Amino acid sequence: MGWRAAIRLADVAFEELSFQAVYAFRQGNVLPTTSARSLVPRARRRVTQSKFLVSAVLGLLAIGAAALLHRVPSTVTGFFAAPLPGGLLDAGVITALLALDVAFLWWTGLQVLPTLMASAVVPVLEPLPIDAVTLRRAVAIVYLRLFDVPVVTVLVVTPVAIGLSLGAAAGLAVVPGVLSAVVFSLALSLITGRFFVHRIQGARGGGGRAWVRWGYLLLWLVPSFAIFGFLTAATQFFNALSILAAGGPSLVRSLLYNAYPVPFGLLTGLAARGTASAGLVPRETVALGLAVTGYLVLTAWAALWVFREVRELGHIPPRPLVEGPSTGFRLRPRSSPLAVLVKDLRIASRTPGYAFLILLPILDAVALGLITVADAPGPSAAIGLALGAVTAAALLATFFGPAFFAIEVLAFSYGRTLPLSDRAIVLGKVGLMALVYLIASGVVLLLALVRVFDPLLFAGFILAELPAIAAAGSLELGWLFRTARRRGFPVANLYSGAWAAIVVAIPGLLIAGAPLLLFHFLGLGGMAALAVAELAACAPIALGGRSG
Amino acid sequence: MEPARPGPADRPLAIDGLTIDYGERRAVADLSFEVRPGEIYGLLGSNGAGKSSTIKSVVGLVRPVAGSVRVFGIDAVHEGLAAKARTGYVPETSLLYEALTPREFLEFVAGVRHLDPATASDRARAYATAFRLDAEFEEPIVSLSNGTRQKVLLIAAFLHAPRLLVLDEPLNGLDPRSVRIVKDLLQRFVRQEGRGVLFSTHTMEVAQELCHRVGILDRGRLQGEGTVEELRRRVESGDASLEEIFLRLTREDEGLSDTVASLGEP
Repeated sequence: MGWRAAIRLADVAFEELSFQAVYAFRQGNVLPTTSARSLVPRARRRVTQSKFLVSAVLGLLAIGAAALLHRVPSTVTGFFAAPLPGGLLDAGVITALLALDVAFLWWTGLQVLPTLMASAVVPVLEPLPIDAVTLRRAVAIVYLRLFDVPVVTVLVVTPVAIGLSLGAAAGLAVVPGVLSAVVFSLALSLITGRFFVHRIQGARGGGGRAWVRWGYLLLWLVPSFAIFGFLTAATQFFNALSILAAGGPSLVRSLLYNAYPVPFGLLTGLAARGTASAGLVPRETVALGLAVTGYLVLTAWAALWVFREVRELGHIPPRPLVEGPSTGFRLRPRSSPLAVLVKDLRIASRTPGYAFLILLPILDAVALGLITVADAPGPSAAIGLALGAVTAAALLATFFGPAFFAIEVLAFSYGRTLPLSDRAIVLGKVGLMALVYLIASGVVLLLALVRVFDPLLFAGFILAELPAIAAAGSLELGWLFRTARRRGFPVANLYSGAWAAIVVAIPGLLIAGAPLLLFHFLGLGGMAALAVAELAACAPIALGGRSG
Repeated sequence: MEPARPGPADRPLAIDGLTIDYGERRAVADLSFEVRPGEIYGLLGSNGAGKSSTIKSVVGLVRPVAGSVRVFGIDAVHEGLAAKARTGYVPETSLLYEALTPREFLEFVAGVRHLDPATASDRARAYATAFRLDAEFEEPIVSLSNGTRQKVLLIAAFLHAPRLLVLDEPLNGLDPRSVRIVKDLLQRFVRQEGRGVLFSTHTMEVAQELCHRVGILDRGRLQGEGTVEELRRRVESGDASLEEIFLRLTREDEGLSDTVASLGEP
């Protein structure tokens, strides 16, 4: 068998994967009482739509970066801590774009890999008389097809957009960087997928091991968050770049200029404006060449590694039972909404895609809180930064809230046979959103108090916003629940429910954001009053459904 | 004298005129039967006969287009929560929250079913010990064998001491010891006042051994119902096994020998 057979197998496997991604029958959904014939084409359509949605974001990022770089002067003054050479500004923006591409593709991988594993498309192929090479090729093609439209978008739109903005040479020079970003994101998805299987999914429960799992997940998310944090601290990055450029060659400058993906940004900057445009000394130019070559070798090795290792993703390796301290058979039943919340937290502690949604607002709050402590020039600036960090935590929790609904896809059919009302499920998930917001805000509060000891203001601000978070969550999740019930499929993941989750997140963000805006005009009282009014208006949406 | 028929609220399950469609395909057509107090009712049928669809309508997974499903007199379609509170269910395929351990899963189920900690813990301990689940109690369900998952589902179904058990192929994947335990448990279960079991299986020997009455489904319609003796009279064969009765009532015995012969030597 050859590549043609592998492509044919991959076609069948990917069709099944799309089907499972949308309807999740292998994860526990039940067949809707609509025509079964319409399900496969509908699943195919939804997966394609979602891929194009992800691709649109990546395409817009490339076009936005290119637009930002159009007609930048040879030296930018007045914006940053020191004058910034145009070549370095180009390099910084391209670096940010590549980092975002890696983050976004990696995040996509995190979202869809559990579906690939749960769909069991690989184990279905294993017992068939297919040689190992063809099977590996087929699985690699299925894996690549998870990313196909987004990857093609990055590979095509980025060079074209940069070429149109900075010239053909820059457009060509960005190609190696884009290629490496794509390969690294595929490799990172695979590494984290394996890590997930070995260390998280198969980990024993009880005896405080949940904390260990959260620790693992935190460690795992740090690289991903570092890229997100890079965007959060973009101003600081460009300030640092301008200071390093003004200060001449140094160890720190060498480290930064050679850290991935900066060399690819510099390569594009130099291609656009000439070798003198970034203020590099000859030694640094040579080092840059070596770094680019090194990263390209690593890219090639990573591509081969992905191809070789991807087959293992479909398997959960058998793990021998390890006798550990047992918590006995003691059960601690909780009320229904709380049982849903605890169940979701436990599932998230073994499911990186969900853990990401919980940990990201908290990690963002830590980063912004640290900036508050380190960067604010005075108390009023510190208060502004801290309240801004709480605002970010509120909006992130609200934006990611709808995705918590996706956990309900797991054992969807079994869950529906329990006497569990829609109301209890929605309340449990709104509780989870509120918990994420409170933890993230609490972190900001603790860090901000180091600079400005005004606990009443901070605590008042956090608590005044809390009803608005609950209101936004009620609206988002109540709406999603009705949509899912009507259509007969769970809003499963990025590939099945991206549209629905984004559509409901928009009014959610408006509801969560309105009291935050009002604070600047009416203070805490007005903010709290609006938030409570919003909750009173939205709660009936969450509390309206009792059907089970 | 005939014993007095139980009232609607005493009848564990009453299905009347049930019709289920999947798009243009009719899976169950005008089906009526009941599970009486103290009875294990076996639902038999070929693949695609409508057994699982019928069972799913009882536990609220499928909405019928016509007919009614009543659990102890409660309309299971419109008052789903109340009906589910009285029901324990084991699905055909063991699809569980795979990221949870059996303990975490049972804790969730116990919470949703409003059990107090002592009762939930005692019952979990008793069933887990009986099924020898001790070593796997803290392992993620994803890493457990099919049989062990089935045991977890059985414990979850018994945990709240339901009054109606709805079991879709509950013995799938179980080892012989566990099969014996489940059979004994079911017989003891229905001896308690007012309880009933709806039991779906493909294994005729199990149905013959366990069920007080059976209903034979074929293409969504009930082809025969009663005790094994009653069905024997119906097919006019005094010593027919349930398998023979099944094949005759569903007319699946017609040409069966020729079909096997046409396969040649395996």
